[in-house]
Amino acid sequence: MRQEVEKYSKPTRILHWVHLVSFCVLFLTGLVLFVPGLGIIAQDSWTRVIHRIAAAIFIIAPIIYIPLNWKATLRGIKEAFSWSADDIGWLKAAPRYYFLGDEAGMPPQGAMNTGQRLWWLIVLVSGVVFTITGLVMWFAKTTASAGVLQWMVFFHDVAFILAGAMLLLHIYLGVIHPLMTEAWKSIYKGTISSEYAKKHHAKWYKEVTRGKEVKS
Amino acid sequence: MAEKAILYDATRCTACRGCQAACKQWNENDEFIPTVENGVPSVNRGSYENPPDLSPTTWLKMEFREIAPNGNVRWLFNRRSCMHCTDAGCVKVCPSGALYHHELGFVAYDKDICTGCGYCIDACPFQVPRSERSLISGIAKADKCTFCTTPSLDRIAEGLEPACVKTCPPAALQYGDRSQLIAEGKKRVEALIAKGWTNANLYGEKELGGLHVMYVLDDHPAVYGLPVDPQIAASTIAWQDVIQPIGWVVGGLTILGLGFNYLVARANINREKEKKDAARS
Repeated sequence: MRQEVEKYSKPTRILHWVHLVSFCVLFLTGLVLFVPGLGIIAQDSWTRVIHRIAAAIFIIAPIIYIPLNWKATLRGIKEAFSWSADDIGWLKAAPRYYFLGDEAGMPPQGAMNTGQRLWWLIVLVSGVVFTITGLVMWFAKTTASAGVLQWMVFFHDVAFILAGAMLLLHIYLGVIHPLMTEAWKSIYKGTISSEYAKKHHAKWYKEVTRGKEVKS
Repeated sequence: MAEKAILYDATRCTACRGCQAACKQWNENDEFIPTVENGVPSVNRGSYENPPDLSPTTWLKMEFREIAPNGNVRWLFNRRSCMHCTDAGCVKVCPSGALYHHELGFVAYDKDICTGCGYCIDACPFQVPRSERSLISGIAKADKCTFCTTPSLDRIAEGLEPACVKTCPPAALQYGDRSQLIAEGKKRVEALIAKGWTNANLYGEKELGGLHVMYVLDDHPAVYGLPVDPQIAASTIAWQDVIQPIGWVVGGLTILGLGFNYLVARANINREKEKKDAARS
């Protein structure tokens, strides 16, 4: 039997899925306002009601998660902002790796590789932007000035374009890309095999095993 | 087709508010009347204006202004409703096409497909569209003057003039070809200037690409509470003309890039595998 190591704890996985599903709903119900031809299916506000329900889940989920998983939250936030020279190396080597499957130039990575950390940073920043601009548009629609409301839509759109495009990339890498064989399992079951961990997250693997080889 | 328009001559208006009533009647905008009998205490707002503002059921209202230049009190009347801009902020931001330019130039509105986003309310340089809105659920519908083209109440398609124009006793409101009304308006402005109203002007000929409601005024537009040189807001332009096209490019390139990556990566990785398998056997 192959040795498995825990990659994501259960609360983290639940938060991931709740957030992903709510974000996808927000993405699709928001997209209908972006595509003039689709606007017609949003008539009578029903997509906007769903958008608000999903928004409430999107905002409340991390608010419940954070106090219950304080340490994981701090570690995660710290990780989003810790960048090193290895990240430059990763970015340089990434195209050869993702297109050609050539691992030669890839520096060893922590629990999250550079690309994952970049996405994680976008999730954090866009999440805050979405929440603030969204709440203003939702609850201050009749009280805020027209100028303020228009800029809120503007920044909501900027966050949408950035996070939306990166979400496609995230789903692609997690589910479709031929090399990411265990990414799906890590967030579904929570574990990855020690071989996959050694190959893809060498630094992190060393930390969790405290340098000891896990026998397979 | 020749563009149509309404010409409002503020110097002929007697502020009878017949247009206001005709607008409500024709467009079936009956509303709750806030009287003492209906349980609403009467409020003195210091003006004959009533109701106090445009609303989802008030698409046209007359404004009253008292000014006292050189100590002489003047009582000015102004027609407040949709200006039917050529360069219309509301049409620019409407995501569903509910607000659109009629083939005769003015801004028509298909309420059925309104999503209630309220973008038009914030984009209008004249603060015209209004909506009933549930603040919690966000359910809303915008409303504004449709130039009497509301489906089943379409006077224009029947060859009639808008209800407000039809009812105007002093003919302060006129309906017709826009080019003819511009000529007529200019003639009246000249006559006013000849009479000593040196600030007289025709408002709406050039504003926002040309309004389809134009005003003959005997004084500066600002005196009548009209915005001087109204503009589409920078936020509207940044959002509609910059960010949205960028969004399409980013979205399109992402999807193309991922598809390309998949094809290349799969081919290369399969080749590597075959090499390994061949080496093993």
